[in-house]
Amino acid sequence: MSTLKHKGKGPQSLTANELREGMNVWLTAEFEWSRDYGEALQTEDEAVMEKMQAKGDADENDNLVVGVYFIDVEPDTGLPVRYREKFRVKGPSYDTADELGLQKVK
Amino acid sequence: MYRYDEFDHEIVQSRVKQFTAQVERRLDGRLTEAQFRPLRLMNGLYLQLHAYMLRVAVPYGTLSSKQMRQLAMIADKYDRGYGHITTRQNVQFNWPELTDVPDILQDLADVEMHGFQTSGNCIRNVTSDPYAGATAEEIEDPRPTAELLRQWSTLHPEFAFLPRKFKIAVVASKTDRAVIRAHDIGIEIVQNDAGETGYHIIVGGGLGRTPIIGQTLRAFLPREELLPYLEATLRVYNRYGRRDNKYKARIKILVTETGIEEFTKQVEEEYATLEPLDIAVSPEEVARITAYFSDPDFETLPAHSDAYKAKLLDDKDFALWAENNLAEHKQDGYAIVNISLKPLDLAPGDITADQMRAVADLADEFSFSEIRTTHQQNIVLPHVKKSDLHALYGKLQKVKLAADNIGLITDIICCPGMDFCALATARSIPLSQAIAQRFADPVRQRAIGEMQIKISGCINACGHHHVGHIGILGLEKAGVEFYQVKLGGDASENAAVGQVTGPGFSQEELVDSIERLVDYYIDIREEGERFIDSFKRLGMAPFKEVLYAA
Repeated sequence: MSTLKHKGKGPQSLTANELREGMNVWLTAEFEWSRDYGEALQTEDEAVMEKMQAKGDADENDNLVVGVYFIDVEPDTGLPVRYREKFRVKGPSYDTADELGLQKVK
Repeated sequence: MYRYDEFDHEIVQSRVKQFTAQVERRLDGRLTEAQFRPLRLMNGLYLQLHAYMLRVAVPYGTLSSKQMRQLAMIADKYDRGYGHITTRQNVQFNWPELTDVPDILQDLADVEMHGFQTSGNCIRNVTSDPYAGATAEEIEDPRPTAELLRQWSTLHPEFAFLPRKFKIAVVASKTDRAVIRAHDIGIEIVQNDAGETGYHIIVGGGLGRTPIIGQTLRAFLPREELLPYLEATLRVYNRYGRRDNKYKARIKILVTETGIEEFTKQVEEEYATLEPLDIAVSPEEVARITAYFSDPDFETLPAHSDAYKAKLLDDKDFALWAENNLAEHKQDGYAIVNISLKPLDLAPGDITADQMRAVADLADEFSFSEIRTTHQQNIVLPHVKKSDLHALYGKLQKVKLAADNIGLITDIICCPGMDFCALATARSIPLSQAIAQRFADPVRQRAIGEMQIKISGCINACGHHHVGHIGILGLEKAGVEFYQVKLGGDASENAAVGQVTGPGFSQEELVDSIERLVDYYIDIREEGERFIDSFKRLGMAPFKEVLYAA
């Protein structure tokens, strides 16, 4: 169960990590989880946020995602307010795998 | 190298089975995340900023070529083709999937490796001198002591839930290559006036948000008393260490608040209640462990190799590499080789799977299959014949592992920072690259001489910034990264915590400021003075003035 209820100001998005693969995800307008922040649902509607929270809790209970919480979103840019969350959206600014074109060899 | 006995195998294989079942139960919901989290952390599996991260223990930084090849296979098969050497001599993988981790742990167990003691409030992986067993400076090889501590601390029920994590390092040379004075317990193997070998026990050191240099708990502890005495020390910590505030829970806070005299008294009183023979291991067991670390079959060689000397004269690049990257070996005709993982264009400490395989092959060919990781995030081949050095250098060049900057300004210690770490407040890798690029000129690097820049992306100080000659702490305010600077830190046997210079800098400002600082040092240094020596002679004021001169 998530313990982090909505406490932010302004527009909110809901984020988590995939339980299996661990990657960052955001809840979309279709109430699906996406690794693309561009698809994240952003809302100031408390009723919608309640539904988002319920979806997050349900998917945590169903072992799809872990660590569900709301993030504040900048109204003008649509980006997360917190610096840390901006980084979760963008991914590492440096990764040796990206630098050298390395990939998982499965 | 130490080889697992039946008991070690049983522990590691059992853990793999346990964790495999725990992952299964987590995935189908029989374990909640709250229940699962401590279980995964006990196996080194973190959930970081972008994904899971698996930290693999490399006890006292010693690896075989076989183990290195397995790490390469894991990097390729389950991660993104590279690994990262940490400041605790461990190896981290940044992108594993939870569903693969049981298989990874099995692959690690197959080569006598695991992720125990790489997380949690336990005694963490014991670190040591990467030159252990090779340097002429040491009284004895510190690794048998480190291995004894590993066996004693692994799964010790009384130390599984300490007030906070607990780090131990062991060295046997006056030259400290393991930063023992910044550990919860630092152990220096010493000899007393009677010529007996024992232990100088240092307690209460640490970095993090409250950097403290450790103090002597016992100047000379007889060899057979090591485990009982440490057990008494840990008991006192367990009893009095604070559990109400994680920021005050490390033993360094307890020792500081109690005072070293009173703390020592408490330990001695606790020690007096123990039955040391119940805890101490027999001399036979010590001898059994020590035998695993006996010297390889060194050839009897002259101290000087004519072939090596000729190559130094023939090949200028090789000579420059040899000047910086080699250390004196105890055996005539051999050298200790440092392989730099600090190329100018990649992250400090990162090594690709191909490079891991190359290092394993080179260890087989030139260094009795032995490899070491260093807390400076480099690699060591401990036993290479001088006559083989040129051939080795040529092969290192082919896999881009021939950077000749060991101990120089571009040999930067750097934590993963905000690019990977969930705790970080700012990035550290791009800053380390910007500094390395600014000082890329190899002639300039050599002119500057020994210089230790250490960068941490948050107050937890995994990048050891408190003990850098130039220490850098990354912070963030209102969405903007800035960097606080410390000067005068020292990670050596003369350990010192650096002093904060003043207000922070942006990355761009900081690179310029460091350049001014370095240029100033070159102007004012006296004959033979390193940066840290000049700083100690002149103090903070002139360096601070230059740093903020823009």
